[in-house]
Amino acid sequence: MSRSQGPSSLKRKRPESNSLSQSLTDQERKLYDVIRSKQDMGIWTRDMKRETNLPDNVVNKSLKALQAKNLIKEVVNIQNKGRKHYMATEFQPAKELTGGSWYVEGSLDTEFIKILRKFCVDFIAELKVATLEKVTDLIRRNGVFAVDVTQQQVEEIVRTLVLDNEIMEVKSNGMGEFASVPIGKVCYKLIGKGGLGGELKAKTGAMASIPCGVCPRISHCTPDGVISPKTCVYYTKWLDF
Amino acid sequence: MVLFDNVLHRVRFSKFMAIVSQEFDKPCVDLIETLLQHGRLSLEQIFDGFRDRKSSGGMEALRGNIHKLVMARYVERCPVAEPFLALPSEEEAAPAKRRGAKSAKIFFEPETLEQRVLAAAVPPEAIRFSVELNPEISADTERDENNSPSNVGEKRKHDALESGIDGGVADKQVVLWRVNFEEFIRRLRHKLRSLFLSHLSHNIPTGGGWWNEIETQDVHTVRRSVASCLHGDFPIVLSEGQICVENVRARLDDEAATVFSAMLDASRSEEKKLKIPSSVPLSVESIYQEVIKSEKDRTKTLEHIIPVLDQLSSSPPFIRVIGDSYIIDFKHIIELAQTDEVESIVLKKYGKDAYRIFRLLSKAGRLLETDKVLVTPQILVGVGWDNLRTTGCANIGICKAILLQLASGATRKPALWICTEVNVDSVFVEKKETANILSKMWQGDYLQMEKLVAGPTHFLLWKVNMINIREHVLDDMFHAALNLSLRVAYELEQQKEILNLGVHGPVKEKYEKLRKVRFLLESSRMKLDDAVMIFHDF
Repeated sequence: MSRSQGPSSLKRKRPESNSLSQSLTDQERKLYDVIRSKQDMGIWTRDMKRETNLPDNVVNKSLKALQAKNLIKEVVNIQNKGRKHYMATEFQPAKELTGGSWYVEGSLDTEFIKILRKFCVDFIAELKVATLEKVTDLIRRNGVFAVDVTQQQVEEIVRTLVLDNEIMEVKSNGMGEFASVPIGKVCYKLIGKGGLGGELKAKTGAMASIPCGVCPRISHCTPDGVISPKTCVYYTKWLDF
Repeated sequence: MVLFDNVLHRVRFSKFMAIVSQEFDKPCVDLIETLLQHGRLSLEQIFDGFRDRKSSGGMEALRGNIHKLVMARYVERCPVAEPFLALPSEEEAAPAKRRGAKSAKIFFEPETLEQRVLAAAVPPEAIRFSVELNPEISADTERDENNSPSNVGEKRKHDALESGIDGGVADKQVVLWRVNFEEFIRRLRHKLRSLFLSHLSHNIPTGGGWWNEIETQDVHTVRRSVASCLHGDFPIVLSEGQICVENVRARLDDEAATVFSAMLDASRSEEKKLKIPSSVPLSVESIYQEVIKSEKDRTKTLEHIIPVLDQLSSSPPFIRVIGDSYIIDFKHIIELAQTDEVESIVLKKYGKDAYRIFRLLSKAGRLLETDKVLVTPQILVGVGWDNLRTTGCANIGICKAILLQLASGATRKPALWICTEVNVDSVFVEKKETANILSKMWQGDYLQMEKLVAGPTHFLLWKVNMINIREHVLDDMFHAALNLSLRVAYELEQQKEILNLGVHGPVKEKYEKLRKVRFLLESSRMKLDDAVMIFHDF
């Protein structure tokens, strides 16, 4: 896996202004100045049309020309993928546009997330009681990722593991298994013990284990109606074992 | 007056008998079965019913068993048929007030007429569970001694007259006895606390030589269910203490489960009501005394118990510490069980991403006792009223919109909202998919949604309202229970020819299949009833 995530680099070497002014028309220049002024946030085409007051066809033509001269580039805005967003080539898109460290080419990097989740779970299981710092340290020392995994990233992953009911968040009372953790410090434990097969997680409840519990038509179901337990296809499928 | 709860209890007869079977021997179980079948009986009628049975062990043994069951509170005197009902005081007559959003969970309904009648009818504790005061005991002793075949006919005629007496009030000497459902529900509540649902196995046993023939009469179904419980085939009812601490054991360890179980036992005798939010305060010494009653824990010391109590009071808190005493937080445990059930439905119905989003909203709603909303598409959870945190242009816009809305009175004003930014990083779901999931859960009544308009921009606010969800989930549970019963009846009706042929007939495979289908449906119904109790009875 190769993921380079670092602080946004701002500028490359600027082309000479004299040569730039010679190669750009007035409209292109005006448009380029507006785009460049937005730095790493870039600008939406509709906004640039409003700010420059240039007609649509002029803007479209100028954008093509600027792109051809490698002065601007189109970037994906994760908040509004349908919009055409441009910025000067010397800038790297801001986090607000890219979605941050979890995104690659405008989409969630699910593979990266999945692997990082697995490592977090494995280390928490190994440590029995783990703080965020310990897990982050183990991941960094493991060296499996080409990029530097920050504690904030680990924290975000760990929070989703809590939401997925794979681990639980507890506060240390300084005793027993928490002896090495300061009192009141938030730490994490794997949910489920070996005695019960090691997995508790989200066990299927009573309602969820029968067709009625998850039926989208239950409000239309009546004993002798068109939809009824006697005629229910979900029941038939459930009982066909 | 129809007692709805008593109608519901009919489904649970096998569970009640299983509870008795764990504490007492078969004659006691037979006694309970008889009372469950007949509803209410006088002691004389009970004696007559068991007189010829070899298994009853004689009249003396029968009296002893009745005494045991009454002392254990599984059997009680029937309430009076026409209780005296005092007029309600001014306070009671005033309409109940909803206290507002902040205490939305604490809605005090006025006591219904049914509840008042039931409360007034219950005899005092000393009489309710006293067999000694019943003159029938000595009268029956004399009858036993003088009993002869020639008197049997007259006695039966006398009993037939007595059985027609409702409540036995016409003859003050005749007292009717019945099963005390309240005690059984209390026992089940103890067993089914601590998130038992997550431990109910759905490995429905398909074996079991106990199922020899399929009949449709309740008493036979009850007998088979009890037999299956005793043989350990039935996955629902486990032995004393197993279910009630299983989740504690899973989340913590065996030591914690042992201590928690001891606390339940210690507090049981002090419970006067069924639905109480917490146990009576228990001292370390009383808990310790209860722990060392068990053979394997006899050598434990206080030094073993105290750290475990600290562990139980840490997150998630099963118990609370008040001074030197410990209290089991029943309310919290039951709420956890209810939340688990709801989340399980969300997971199965809408998928893992929806489960994650729902838990995020649910946890955010639980952090503080105020209204919380989730804002999309920028996806904020709540908005700080006093501490508006500006993390971006979009957030400022939402904050302003909400403030404008609140100022105009269009939205209820919470006392305090808290700002917690939740974006796609918190749930790792694409923004468009998040919007779809939220919309589906809203259509399924698992989320509440409010719209906020600020100029040309529209914002959608989302919230988990667990009170509303519990209500509609309970409704769906009752509906599902009915559906399961109807389907069982339908399957048996459709396959009655196979039933008639029996297990050794030419359609042995179909017979086996039918047996498994019936077992699956009925065990699912029993499992569902456990969930109904968590939402309705506990």
